[in-house]
Amino acid sequence: MIREGSINIPFLYAAGKAGSEFLVALRDRQQLLGSHCPACARTVAPARAFCPGCGGEEMPSVDIGPGAALVSWTDVPGRGVFALVRPDGADNAMLHKLLGPAEGLRPGSRLRAVFADERQGHITDIEGFEILGEGS
Amino acid sequence: MRPVAIIGTGQTDHARRRDDVSQPELVREAASRALTDAGLRPADLDAVVIANMELFEGRAMPELWVGEGAFANGKPCMKVATGGTSGTSSCIAGFHQAASGLFDVVLVVGFEKHSEGHTQTGMALTDPFWDRAVASGALGNFALSISQYMAERGVTEEQAARVAVKSRRNAARNPHAHLKDADATVDDVLNSKLLAHPVRLMDMCPQSDGAAAIVVASADRARELCPRPAWVKAAATRHEQPYIGDIERRLLTMRTLKDASRSVYAAAGITEPLQQFDVAEIYEPVTYAELAWYEILGFCPEGEAGRLIEDGVTEMGGELPVNPSGGVLSANPVGATGVIRMAEAASQILGRAGAHQVEGAETALVTGYGVYAWADAAILGSAA
Amino acid sequence: MSERISVAIEMAQGWRYSSGDAMARFSEGLRRKRIEALQCGGCRRRYLPPRPVCGNCHLPLSDWVPVSDKGTLEAWTVVFLPFLDARTGEVRDGPYGMGLIRLDGSDATLNHYLAENDPARLAVGMRVRAVWREELRGAMDDILHFEILP
Repeated sequence: MIREGSINIPFLYAAGKAGSEFLVALRDRQQLLGSHCPACARTVAPARAFCPGCGGEEMPSVDIGPGAALVSWTDVPGRGVFALVRPDGADNAMLHKLLGPAEGLRPGSRLRAVFADERQGHITDIEGFEILGEGS
Repeated sequence: MRPVAIIGTGQTDHARRRDDVSQPELVREAASRALTDAGLRPADLDAVVIANMELFEGRAMPELWVGEGAFANGKPCMKVATGGTSGTSSCIAGFHQAASGLFDVVLVVGFEKHSEGHTQTGMALTDPFWDRAVASGALGNFALSISQYMAERGVTEEQAARVAVKSRRNAARNPHAHLKDADATVDDVLNSKLLAHPVRLMDMCPQSDGAAAIVVASADRARELCPRPAWVKAAATRHEQPYIGDIERRLLTMRTLKDASRSVYAAAGITEPLQQFDVAEIYEPVTYAELAWYEILGFCPEGEAGRLIEDGVTEMGGELPVNPSGGVLSANPVGATGVIRMAEAASQILGRAGAHQVEGAETALVTGYGVYAWADAAILGSAA
Repeated sequence: MSERISVAIEMAQGWRYSSGDAMARFSEGLRRKRIEALQCGGCRRRYLPPRPVCGNCHLPLSDWVPVSDKGTLEAWTVVFLPFLDARTGEVRDGPYGMGLIRLDGSDATLNHYLAENDPARLAVGMRVRAVWREELRGAMDDILHFEILP
């Protein structure tokens, strides 16, 4: 015997200190924010409250992007191209969508963040990353 | 197994909604305070245990997401999720890790952000063939057992209300508590909204956002790092059969709590709990449960819990202060709640409980309670 | 205090569960208003819900025994707080009565709704009887609730 069902559950997540700052910068300045750890001399994207390397909590925000380099990608039929992109000025990659076909892509391909016209402080305020061409 | 001790604790300020921080940031607050309390740096940690009921927040693999907040990057890390016992069980897992000799210093962090999900729904997702059609969550489950307890032991609504008053008054001296009321009265409780007969709003634990952490160390490291460690004298955990109807006379017998407590009493040489414990931090999800636990834990004979609360035996300044922190009734971020019990008891032994310190506390009892059935018990002491 | 951003997400929680043989037989029985428990040959406990193994003795269970749709109220409450119905996600308004009922012939108690929702008219030890749905579907809610017997 099989029993099936479904209910809807509402969630409301707080972006927190670093997350809120990141989303406000997207919305108000069309700007990507990372966090710089002076101890590790490393900038992580997106902004966060503590360093994933040393655990340090002195993490001033820094502007990164909008230019970015492609790290890796996958083409999901019907859903688009998802990619790990490393914004210029950051030492790690973040996950987002590519605006354009996957043909001709290679690690290092140059990208640029495209911002939505109507922004609401959400990760989708970045519409995606457009493909500029092959990297050096 | 080698002796282990708790050498530091940390808690967030617990509240209805902590939307000033993300989940990882909330976890970091507690973890960071525990490290500072223990006088350690992140690199000194050998392993991390996390407690959380992820269904409440609807976020897969919270140990991955919040791990960074708990200093878990690059270290062994695991999660414990056993309802209300998640916190105490994760502490006991941390004890075992250090006692086994695998690790010298283990950080245990529990957290929950009830404001971010829908706890009632999470609690109602029970066996779809049997009791999902008639599930009424934690509240209904407690209320159901209370009629039986009242009928058999003669406990009154006034006596239960005294538990709520004690809890919220104690909480007024605890900077971390969610619900504080130094002026709470029995009448306030009896006039608060009826949720499920006979449980009123002030009888019930809140749903809180919060995190708590402890640092567990092997004997050598504990002696090196801490002038007065809170030694783990014994710890036990017990689970039950799966359905509410499997458990005979639940609040009256609570066999998991009885078994777990008798196991730790035997290991630590406790024969007269009321006399031998200086303080207790017990997991009381509802006022009536605290009274039932007095009897199960052997603080008094069956049927005399009402007298115990009326005589002030468990108040601050009484023979055995129970929940100087304000208990679960005053703060309940579920995954953290059991860690809070352990951290509070450890702080009492460490002599760092501040305005709610029980002077000279040397032996402390901790209990955990999960779903309607599971139980943990632990004894902390000032002597190794 | 800088601006706080929150993200709202509504997620559909879907499921598809298999009952196993014991619960399938039990559920089929409900269609004929028949309640059966599985009894352990070791400790003699009669299990509801029926399941394949005794939780105490760990012996396999295969002896079906009939259980009455009448029983005794072991514990009760009246819920005033609106509560979510986990079958539908809809809110169930209070007040409604709930009981732990020991059906005659079972050792376990059954958690179910009561027809009575006045606390003054409920007491531990009362005799109760199942009120069945007209159109039986082979599920626990074929029993609408339990009514108090005089």
